[in-house]
Amino acid sequence: MSDEWFSSKKEEFMRWLYDENRRRGLSRAVSSYTAARDYALSCLPHLEKTRKEVRKIKESAVEQMDELRKIASERITESHGNAYFARDADEARKIFLELVGNGKTVVKSKSLVTEEIHLNEALQRNGNRVFETDLGEFIIQIRGEKPTHIINPSVHVPKEEVAETFSKLVGREVKPDIPELVGVAREYLRDKFCKADVGITGANVVAASTGTLFIIENEGNARFVSNAPPVHICITGIEKIVPTLEDAFKVVQVLPPYATGILMSAYVSMITSPSRTADIEKTLVYGAHGPKELHVIFLDNGRSRMLRDPIMKEALYCLRCGGCMYECPVYRVLGGSFGHNYFGGIGIIWSAFTAGEEKVAAAIDACTKCGRCKEVCPLEIDVPKMIECLKSRLVEKGYLADKHRIIKENIMKRGNPFGE
Amino acid sequence: MPQKVLYWKGCMSRFRTRSIADSIERLLNLLNVDYTTLGEDEGCCGSVLYRTGQTADALLVSKRTLERLSSLGVKEVVTGCPGCFRTMSLDYANFFRNVPFKVRHISQFLFDMRDELRDHLRPMKAKVVYHDPCHLGRHMGVYEEPRALIKMIPEVDLLEFKYNRNKALCCGSGGGVRSAFPEVSLEVAKSTLLELPEGTEIVVTACPFCKYNFVEGNNKKVEVIDLPELILRACGG
Ligand code: SF4
Repeated sequence: MSDEWFSSKKEEFMRWLYDENRRRGLSRAVSSYTAARDYALSCLPHLEKTRKEVRKIKESAVEQMDELRKIASERITESHGNAYFARDADEARKIFLELVGNGKTVVKSKSLVTEEIHLNEALQRNGNRVFETDLGEFIIQIRGEKPTHIINPSVHVPKEEVAETFSKLVGREVKPDIPELVGVAREYLRDKFCKADVGITGANVVAASTGTLFIIENEGNARFVSNAPPVHICITGIEKIVPTLEDAFKVVQVLPPYATGILMSAYVSMITSPSRTADIEKTLVYGAHGPKELHVIFLDNGRSRMLRDPIMKEALYCLRCGGCMYECPVYRVLGGSFGHNYFGGIGIIWSAFTAGEEKVAAAIDACTKCGRCKEVCPLEIDVPKMIECLKSRLVEKGYLADKHRIIKENIMKRGNPFGE
Repeated sequence: MPQKVLYWKGCMSRFRTRSIADSIERLLNLLNVDYTTLGEDEGCCGSVLYRTGQTADALLVSKRTLERLSSLGVKEVVTGCPGCFRTMSLDYANFFRNVPFKVRHISQFLFDMRDELRDHLRPMKAKVVYHDPCHLGRHMGVYEEPRALIKMIPEVDLLEFKYNRNKALCCGSGGGVRSAFPEVSLEVAKSTLLELPEGTEIVVTACPFCKYNFVEGNNKKVEVIDLPELILRACGG
């Protein structure tokens, strides 16, 4: 086997490692996150209990993933929405392209699942204009980059660079003043929301028994995206479905403090059907002030395979709070290069199942197996165990770093890794 | 030699951080411990192979080592290397049915002998911070023995990292990262050292890998030593 798989990742690592701007952006984010989260957790002592309940909820929910998906789909259909099941990324993109068509203006709120299926590229190829509206996603979209953190996708871009990017966008000089930068994005995106034909969101959790989607956010963009355009399409992984609203509310409590260090997010949207009114003669009409159409796509794309894998199954419990990434000593220096389409230790597992094991064959060699991620995870997910297992599978397939092979040969020949 | 303790040095201390092995041997002698080593024939516990995903080879090597130690009648192993410690306790128990010996990390061993050790300790004026090695702390749950030993040294001031014990940061060298991506490993070490509490004079590790990496990533303002080295120094060694 050539060592392309290893050397190309190494190059990417080096670009991150010695890019002072990125490292500065990252370390500012890490320190503000950890301080905020520690404070939030100290204000919410009962969360210790809630997070354990959420673990139990997820343990049993993923076992009935298929069943819950069917129940949720039925409920959504009953309330005049449309539910779809996409086995893989390809099927998901096809559903999107059929629903969106071409020549449309699309606004999006942050969704890593759309990243997972390479949705933007597909929509654009079909002649649609796509606007990311989450500030972080917006920044990296106009910079032509990839997200580098699941909650804070532009975590690596310091304000000075954001100012440069925005200056080019609006054709006037914008100062590296954070409130001013936010203002520029607000102004630029405002009319996009109202003029868009389609709004695309993800969902943080779905309650099967009512078919309710929960979208948790702070900026208010997801509200616009899911409410202003006439069509709302939501895509989410099948592992996000829990049985009841009560279960979903528990997840909603755990996510914000661990994701962004706040007690509760500014907005939690619960969406169960398209917008409706029966105020004139009790005649039901869809599309009052909100969207006329609601489409929900449930994506598998490797998730059922995860479920059948006794060691990796645990990864399905992940709430995508992103806490473990900020806390990972390796992510802190490698940022978005430490992973593939998802980041950090848990991201390596997710990337392996959704994009292919070979995509993380080299990144996994940067994990020190320090085990810190497990300690900070609200669900105590045993990431190091999964990493070790995945690494072992990759080695069986031939993905063994040269240095590690030499170490083995030395041990076999001389009884020690140095060959001395 | 059934009664004797086997001091298992581990490859790092045999070849890269010899002063750790020397310090441990001198401490064992000082405390009149009847111990033995396997010298040049020690071989490999299998840790690096397990941690780099070379599981089949790891099983082969560790099985051989286990059989060798069993046939020598070893009942007690002491090691200064948390990697060996974890592998010979957790992984051996996980993969093999009969492990006829118990394994202790040197910090546990010295802690268990604290009454004998206490008389030898002389005052040492220094501000030290203890770094929890991942394999010793999070993997094996040993957090307090090293701290207790440090605090036994009169006049030593034990500081803590903001994130310590199960939340401790990482030296960056575990899991085969130091060999696969030395630059990454070094940057992790440096970023952990950035968190040193104000006034730290000595960083104490309890792992040859941590010591090695922190020495490399050190900006020369502090001294980096391993726990047995610190204890030996306090004993006047
Ligand atoms: S593994 Fe745990 S800490 Fe990491 S993103 Fe998932 S839920 Fe959050």
